[in-house]
Parts: sequence; structure tokens; C-alpha cells
Amino acid sequence: MIETALKVLFILLYATFVGFMFMGIIRIVTARIHRRVGPPIYQPILDTIKLLSKESNITHGFIYDFGILYAVGATILAVMFIPLGSIGVLRAYGDLILITFLLEIPMLGIMFAAMSSGNPWAGIGAQRALLTLLAIQVPLGFAVIALAEYYGTFSTYEIVMAQQISGWSIAHFPLLLAAIAYDLVLQAMFGKEPFDIMIAPGEISLGPMVEFGGKHMGLLNIQHAIALFAETLFFSNIFLGGGVVTAFSSPVLNTIAGLLVLLVKQIAVLLVATFMAAIFPRFTIDQAAKFYWKWPTIIAALGAILASL
Amino acid sequence: MNELALIVFTPLLAGVLAWLLNVRGLREAIGVIGAAVPLAYAAMLHEKAAQGLSFALNLGVFNMTFALSQLSWFFLGIAALVGFSAVLGLVSTARGSYEWLFALMSLTGAFGVFLANDLMTFFIFWEIMTFASFMMVLRYNRQASLKYFVLSIVGAYAMLIAIAFIYVKVGSFDFSAVRSAFIGDAYARMFGSATFSSGELMALFGLFLVAFGVKAGLFPLHVWAPDAYSETNQSYTAMFSGVLSKTGIYGFIMMYILMGTRLMVEFGMFRSAPKFGYIIAFLGGLTIIVGGLLAALQEDIRKLFAYSSISQVGYILVGIGVGTALSMQAALFHALSHALFKGLFFLIVATIVYRTGKTTFADMGGLAEKMPFTFAMAFVAILSLAGIPPLVGFASKWVLFEAVISQNLPILGGMVFFGSAIGFVYLIRFTYAVWFGQRPTDLDDTKDAPLPLAVAMAILALFNVVLGIAPGLVARELNRIFGRDIIGGNLFVLDLGFGKYNALAILTYLIMGIAIAGLIYLLGARARKVPVTDTYQSGNPVTMEYNLTIRRNFFLPLKEALSGWLRISFDRTYRDIGAWVEDFGEVMRNYIYNGNVQSYAWYLLLILLILAIWGV
Repeated sequence: MIETALKVLFILLYATFVGFMFMGIIRIVTARIHRRVGPPIYQPILDTIKLLSKESNITHGFIYDFGILYAVGATILAVMFIPLGSIGVLRAYGDLILITFLLEIPMLGIMFAAMSSGNPWAGIGAQRALLTLLAIQVPLGFAVIALAEYYGTFSTYEIVMAQQISGWSIAHFPLLLAAIAYDLVLQAMFGKEPFDIMIAPGEISLGPMVEFGGKHMGLLNIQHAIALFAETLFFSNIFLGGGVVTAFSSPVLNTIAGLLVLLVKQIAVLLVATFMAAIFPRFTIDQAAKFYWKWPTIIAALGAILASL
Repeated sequence: MNELALIVFTPLLAGVLAWLLNVRGLREAIGVIGAAVPLAYAAMLHEKAAQGLSFALNLGVFNMTFALSQLSWFFLGIAALVGFSAVLGLVSTARGSYEWLFALMSLTGAFGVFLANDLMTFFIFWEIMTFASFMMVLRYNRQASLKYFVLSIVGAYAMLIAIAFIYVKVGSFDFSAVRSAFIGDAYARMFGSATFSSGELMALFGLFLVAFGVKAGLFPLHVWAPDAYSETNQSYTAMFSGVLSKTGIYGFIMMYILMGTRLMVEFGMFRSAPKFGYIIAFLGGLTIIVGGLLAALQEDIRKLFAYSSISQVGYILVGIGVGTALSMQAALFHALSHALFKGLFFLIVATIVYRTGKTTFADMGGLAEKMPFTFAMAFVAILSLAGIPPLVGFASKWVLFEAVISQNLPILGGMVFFGSAIGFVYLIRFTYAVWFGQRPTDLDDTKDAPLPLAVAMAILALFNVVLGIAPGLVARELNRIFGRDIIGGNLFVLDLGFGKYNALAILTYLIMGIAIAGLIYLLGARARKVPVTDTYQSGNPVTMEYNLTIRRNFFLPLKEALSGWLRISFDRTYRDIGAWVEDFGEVMRNYIYNGNVQSYAWYLLLILLILAIWGV
């Protein structure tokens, strides 16, 4: 019981901290691409502390508060199910489909909160977020199906262990196709250009986020950090072999090494997304739907069909 | 008197009594008793279902036989529970004794279909159910009811032809006799000669597909549903969509039980699914997509949920089509959860319509403050339908996903994945337009749900939550139907072997996560409540005269992205066929009954000539 509680606490702190570092890395890398210096890496933490310590906050009612809490809670829930190296609280139940769903439901909370504010920009943002969700679901579904059919199991942990024996998922052609499609989907899941249509700074004044300020925005920053961590972690686990290290004799050293290996893989995923975001302008929403229903879908469906043969 | 007879005939009796007495207050009481008795008996029969229980009624010409099995108990339980809730809702919304008569009559029809033990009884109660639901729609909209009736008649007579055909070949209506005849025929086919030829089997399959497809709302036979579901008493629709569409599902399962082996032997397999089942599953997948996309584009609450109902039934059909024991269990599980959350949704719609008198999104908004109880119920229903763990909608969808994908059927898997996202999409549209945002001033004195509707909603919401947290309860029931442990695990855990789902862990950690977030929230400074007009509008001041909420055409980009596909409409195709038939009738009337005496004489001569050639 106490051991589980300690693990939960560790995962939470680690995920939040690393998530904030990831946000910092994105800002620095984007700045360097633009030949700027950029903020220090811990800048997102400072931002969040500032937002949380605002002296005046507003609310539009119960759902406005609860939606935010739900989003943070659901993100924490999702991170618990994804194997983190050899640490895992619920990795026995870390089912592919469950995690895929759990990574989407925080958005429900954000949208409930945003819509209950009654702001028209939030309405537009919710509409775009929903259509993006609908668009990415097809390639995302096929990518998950390809994995499940290739490995014959839905357990994320078992998929990680299978990769220990047979090599990373992306080394197999059908799963490479699935990984390409999933990586394109990640761009929308992170909310990065060219698919940051639901937030669209400068176009619809942040969409769903328009009414949030103070501690609501601070909580959303925390949610964003954990979600960034969870999404990169899930991708590294299912496509890049996860982080199981057995080189050392001490289990503690193995665990630390596993976390470091995972961190390198997560940063690699993050950097690909950042590079893409820095050089592509935003799509419109109908272009995004048509894009996702065309190339990523074809690639992922091909992967799924090849994996099922 | 036998319990089965009581279950089947009590609603009908209560309906007739309520109609004859027609005293306000009394008819409501009789109606509720008429629905409560079957529910009580169904609950009591739970243990007896294992032994099997039967009842026969001699009508002289043939015996009307009923029997209770584990499978029919499962459907009976769904029907009795959702039917009872819908009847409670009717207490508030029924306009007269007419509706009591036919609502209870259709409940009798559904019970009879689930308990029937021979094809003829099945057909008779099927028709009672169709007739009663037709009368319910007729009261509100003639056009919609006729569309429903014509399609239902096509389905019913397709079934009658198939039944007559089976009777000619087998010589019995009895389920067990028909079943053993088909199984015997399957063996005969493997060793050479068989009674049923390939063409005959294909025709039988096609006839049953039409018959059950119409009731279930299978694409492209779904066109009646949006009109019929919306143009009637919405409390009744809870039953119409929750229970009556399940009879189509039950029909498909009966088809598997009766002639599944024979069809599999004749047509072979497609991967691990039988070929004929793959047709059902593929049409089910199309039903999910078409129903879901059209639901997102509706501007009327009732229409939105009608299409959503079609879309969810598609899931059940995919599960049935794949045809393994696990996917059948998944389909039955989803049938239960669909009845629970869709029944709840239509009761919510009934409440909204009853309290506001409005049905389109354009007239609504901001009702969450005025109807907090109904909103709480809607919240449960939304989470359940959208498949948010740990509610029952997720558990059943999860089993279904894994059942389909583990059979190496990637295309069907992609279809169900798309369906889950589109469910999310149309529900948020409902949430946004009805509950949130700016409230039109004419809704300022809206009251919360009346007591009977509130109780009915609470019952269904409770089941949504309890069965979601403890999906093992349903799994145990499903395992009993199949006689072996297909879904393992315990009360809170579903274990399929290649995947596990722990509802209790999800609940615990979700609560923990929300608690942590809540702690951070409470540590911050107190929040001040601001009105809806105190908002960011590009830095401009806003008053209530501005319409801040997007109420019309919410998903316009989706409509534009799909404009090519939306030009294809089966509704229009059927209307065109109807128009052609009418024109043809007109032409025939003009040419044959042309009023010319001489031409009638020519007809006579022609027939005599034919007889002469024939050699009479």
C-alpha cells in the first residue's frame, strides 16, 4: 500500500517536472530555429507559479471549475496506466485501447469548462477541437489496430517486453507505417502547428482557453505538462521499445537507466514534433480533416492490413 | 397462472384497462403497475432461468409457446427495466389514455418476442409490437408513421415468407425442431446431399436480413428511425429505441442460433468471421459511420438522438456479425448499455421538451442552471455514451473493440474506432447548445424535471454507474448464457486473456487525480462568480442583446468536408421508388381500366385464346 503510494507520488512529480521541462525545451528549440535566444528552460514552471498565485480569479459556475479539475484528474489517471520503465502502478491494466481513450478524455473536461463560459471564441475552439479529434481518430485507430494485431495482445507492457526480444516496433514494416501515421497524429494531440487549429493563437484568440486566467490557467498548464509527458511516453513505449534495462545487477541502477533511456526517446519524439511545428503554417479545419482522412489513413490502414495477414 | 404468461400479458391488460377507465390518476396508476409486474417477475425469475421455464397456449390452430432461457432472460431484463422507466416517464408526458394503451401494448409485443419459443409466436408478437409503435407515431405525425409502417411491413412480410419457407421444409415452427433440422442439414451438406440448396439459403438469409435489419435500423434500412423516433412522445421513445430496436438484435441472434451452422457450412469463412456474418458486421460498421455523421449535423435534439441510436445499434451488429463467442458477448453487453444510456437520453429529451416545449437547438441554451438535476443525469448519460471510463458505455465498447480487433479484422476495427469519436462529437454539440452558454430570456422560468421523470432517470442513471463500476456483474450473466467463462475476472475486472480492464482502479485513480487538482485549486485565491455577459469579445462590451452562443450549423466545416457524400441520400431513393410505384399504379389504371367496353371484350378474348393455346 505504502509502496504503491510512493510510486504514485514519484510518477506524479516526475511526470509533472519532466513535462514542464519538455515545454521549456519546445520553447528553446523553437527560439533557436528562429535565431533567438529564448527563455530559460524552467520558464513554464515560473509561468505556472505566477498563474497559480494570482490574487483575483473568476468563475462562470460549477462546471467551469469542475471541467478543469476533471481534465487534470483524467490526465493523471492516464499517466498511471502507461508503463514507465520498470515502474508501473497499474501497468497490468495498461490496455492499448484504454490508454488511447484515456489520453483523449481530458479534452472533454477542458471543453466542458470552456463551453460553460458561454464565450463565442470558446465555442468555435470547441468545434475545431472536436473536428480535429474526429479527423485524427481514423489513422489513430488503424495504428492501434496494427499494433494489437501484430503482437496479438492489447497489453502495453507485454508489447514493450516483446520489443525486447524482437526489436523495436518501427523495425517491422507494417508497424513502421503505423508509427508514421501515429507521429502525424501526435502533432494534433500535442496541439502543435500545422494542426494547432483548436487553439489557433492569433486567429481565434486561443479558442477554448480564451476565458481562463489565474489558477484555472495554471491548472491547465500542469495538465498540459503531464499530457505532453504521457503522450510521448506512450509513443516511446509502443513504437520505440520502451525503457527496460537489465544491464546492471542493482535494480535501482536498472530503473534509473531505464528512465534515462526513456527520456532520450521521449525527447526525440518531442523534437520531431517541434521541428515540424516550427516550419509549417497552420491548416484550416476542413483541410486538416481532409488531410487526416487521406494520407495518414491510407498509410495506417495499409499497416493494419499488413499486420493482420 | 404461469409467470411467463403474467409477464407477457399484464402490460396489455393494464393498457386496455387504462384505456377503458380513462380516469386521470387511475390510468397512470394502472399503467405503472402494468409495467412494474413484469419487472418484478423478471427479477424473480433470474434464478429459475437456468432450469428453463415454458408455457403453451392452445389456440386450436396451433400452440402459442413461450419459454425462458438464459438468453431470453437477459433481453427480458433489459426490456422490463427500460420499459418500466419509460412508463414512469409517460406518467408526466402522456397526453391521454390512447398513449397508455399502445405504449403498454408494445411492451407486451417486445416481451412476447423475447419469450417466444416458436417462429409463429415470434411473428405474432413482432406484429403486435410494430402495430402498437405505429399507432404511437401516428398520433403525432402521419407522414413519419406511414414511412415507418411501410418499411416495417416489408420487413415483417419478408420474415413471414422465410418462416413459411422453413415450415414447408422442416414441418414445424418450434425453435428446437428448426434448429436441429438445420444442424442435421449442415451435416448432410458436408457428406453430399442437403435439403436446402445454396440459393434457398441465400434467399432465407436475405429475407431475415431485411426483416431484422428494418427493426434494428441497419443501414440502408434505417430511414424510418429518425422520423419515427422523433415524432412521438419522447418518454415512449426511451422504450422505442431502448427496447424495440433490441428485438431486431434478438432476431439476428436467433438467426445465428437456428441456422448459423448451416449458413457457415454453406458459405464458408472470411478470415475468422463467417462470410454471412461479415456482411452483417460490415453493414453494421457503415451504420455506425452514417448514423454518427448525420447525428452531428442535426439541428433538432430528437433527431440527433434518433441518429445516435442508429449509430450505436451498428456496434451491436458488428459484434453479432463477427460471430465468435466473445464478440457475441460484447454485442449483448453493448445491447444492455445502449438500452440503459439511450433510454436515459430520451427521458432527458422528454424532460426538456416537456418543460420548454422546444425541440431545436436554436431555441435553447444555458439550461444547466435551471435544471441541475436533469443536467446531472445528462452528464452521466453523456459520459456513458461517449465511452468514458468507468461508466457502462466504456466497458461494453471496450469488450467490443477487443473482440473485433483480436479476430484480425482491421477494417471493421477502423469503423468502430471512428464511431467512438463521432459519438463524442455529437454529444458535445448537444451539451453546448442545450446546457451551456447564454440562456434565451423566454427560458428564464423553466423548472426542473417532474417527479416521475426524475425517478425514471435516476433509476437508469444508477444502473449506468453501478454496472460501469462493476462490469463483472454483467460478465457473469453473459457467461451464464454461454455456459462457460468467456470473459474472466471478478466483479471489477474484465479479463479477456489478451487484455484487461479494471473499472475500480480507474475510479480510484480518477478520484485521486481530481482530489489532487482540487487541492491545488483550493490553495489558490478564491474565484469570483461573473455573469455570462462578462466575457471576452475582442475587448468589446457585451450585453444580453448579443447572441454569444453558436446555435445553428455548429459543424458547418464537417458538412462542407462531406458535401459530396451528403448528396447521396437513401431517404430520397426510397421516396423516388415510392413515387415510381404510384406513377406505375396510375399508368396501369389509365390503360387497363380505360372505360372502353370494347377493350374489356378484347381482354376476355385474350384470356380465352391463352386457355385455348394451353389446351383446356
